[in-house]
Amino acid sequence: MTPIGFFEIVGFGERGWGPALLLATSVTLAVAVCGFLVGSVLGALAAAAKLSRSRLAATIGDTYTTVLRGIPDLLVIYLFYFGGSLALTNLGRMLGYDGFLGLPVFVTGALAIGVVNGAYQAEVFRGAYLSLSKGELEAARSVGMSRALMFRRIVVPQVMRYAIPGLGNVWQLALKESALISVIGLVELLRQAQIGAGSTRQPFYFFLAAAILYLALTTISTIAFQKAENRAMRGVRRAA
Amino acid sequence: MSKTKAFGPGLAGAVVALALAAQPAAAQGWETVRIATEGAYAPWNFSNPDGTLAGFEIDLANTLCERMEVTCEIVVQDWAGIIPSLQSGKYDAIMAGMNITDQRLEVIGFSIPYAGGPHGLAVMADSPLADLPGEGRLSLDSDPDAVAALIAEWTPMLEGKVIGVQGSTTNANFLTEYLGDIVEIREYGTTEQHDLDLSAGRLDGIFAAHSAFNATMQKPEFADMKIVGPGLSGGVLGRGVAVGVRQENEDLRDMFTKAIEEAKADGTIKELSEKWFGLDMTPAG
Repeated sequence: MTPIGFFEIVGFGERGWGPALLLATSVTLAVAVCGFLVGSVLGALAAAAKLSRSRLAATIGDTYTTVLRGIPDLLVIYLFYFGGSLALTNLGRMLGYDGFLGLPVFVTGALAIGVVNGAYQAEVFRGAYLSLSKGELEAARSVGMSRALMFRRIVVPQVMRYAIPGLGNVWQLALKESALISVIGLVELLRQAQIGAGSTRQPFYFFLAAAILYLALTTISTIAFQKAENRAMRGVRRAA
Repeated sequence: MSKTKAFGPGLAGAVVALALAAQPAAAQGWETVRIATEGAYAPWNFSNPDGTLAGFEIDLANTLCERMEVTCEIVVQDWAGIIPSLQSGKYDAIMAGMNITDQRLEVIGFSIPYAGGPHGLAVMADSPLADLPGEGRLSLDSDPDAVAALIAEWTPMLEGKVIGVQGSTTNANFLTEYLGDIVEIREYGTTEQHDLDLSAGRLDGIFAAHSAFNATMQKPEFADMKIVGPGLSGGVLGRGVAVGVRQENEDLRDMFTKAIEEAKADGTIKELSEKWFGLDMTPAG
């Protein structure tokens, strides 16, 4: 093989890995988005649990956020991947099915990102809720709003407003955690870069290309979150 | 013989299933055999930009499957999870430059080896280690005295040097056992990574298979890398590269063994080995 340059190897020509890298970038984006959404659901539930007056719920919420923020993400991924398929296969055996059962790697990856991300999002939501003004909640109650209505009209819009900067941070965590999903065989951006590096023996080109693509994703999301923040804060006076 | 689509679910597959993907276990009587490879270890097995697989083991798998009269499906699996996924039944066999070792034999079964390449040290040509003594081939099994003498001769030269090696490999086991007290071992995820650190001067030497060195030295920036010392094999370095299967699948193991014997006897393995490595790595015996 004659030596070829950076632009040829990551480009779109016959020997270029451009299409493969772009596809892998979209897989990275998809798994991070799914993980982030799973995390939003779990995070909202955990925040509600932590803020609840029930001691049991608060303990469960605290345990979740403490454990999941306290152990390495990679360990969570391994637990989901190997533990999950082992548990499913054993469950299948009990029900009389003798084959291998496992979740697709994409689902495993999104769930693993989701449970970790949810723990961080719970703290973001909790912090945002605590910065609501008590007076507004009291006012809502005093005009006879039901809890559901108060939640929808008063709590959610303001929590989202305060949560956006924190969520932007947590989203970037999800995006970068997706790189760890490469260990379970999902061909996302990092894994594709490793495959290209090992196959062409040109690691520099591939890791450089992957870094550029990750940076593009994070830069675009930073801008998007900034826009969302500006929009959410419209009508709110800021101290100069 | 179809080369299976190598890359994971991709976007389409990704969006599809929140449902369980149930994959049936190996069909009884072995009509289809799923073989896992790393897809990132040129020239053993690697990927093309379009996602198709190529390399020594891909060609070999195709001829072995033809001889076994089964349909093969080749799947890509990251190295770190390659044995656990075999055991959990994701696929039925591994062909990924994997050496037979005692530790691996405790958990999986192996066919007879289809390649038995020597392993050794490589350094940059301007390194003080460039004239490290030793040459030819040495077996850890049959020449233990010669190996001990070699290590004794190397000790003063290697004292405190930093040697890179791919982690979780027989090469790493060799370094730990024979040179662990003498050199500082630095483990890497892939061979490319230690190659880079060798050329960057962060490592004094690397320990890997000679076949990997040959491939690396074809790159212009590694033209002055040099293999030093003898080619080592046997013992902790493993009894050669073989097909890994689940222990209970003795029938499949025997099918692979028979097919490998045929491919050795009619020169197919030698031919493929010379095509991909530029050297004959047919295992002895």
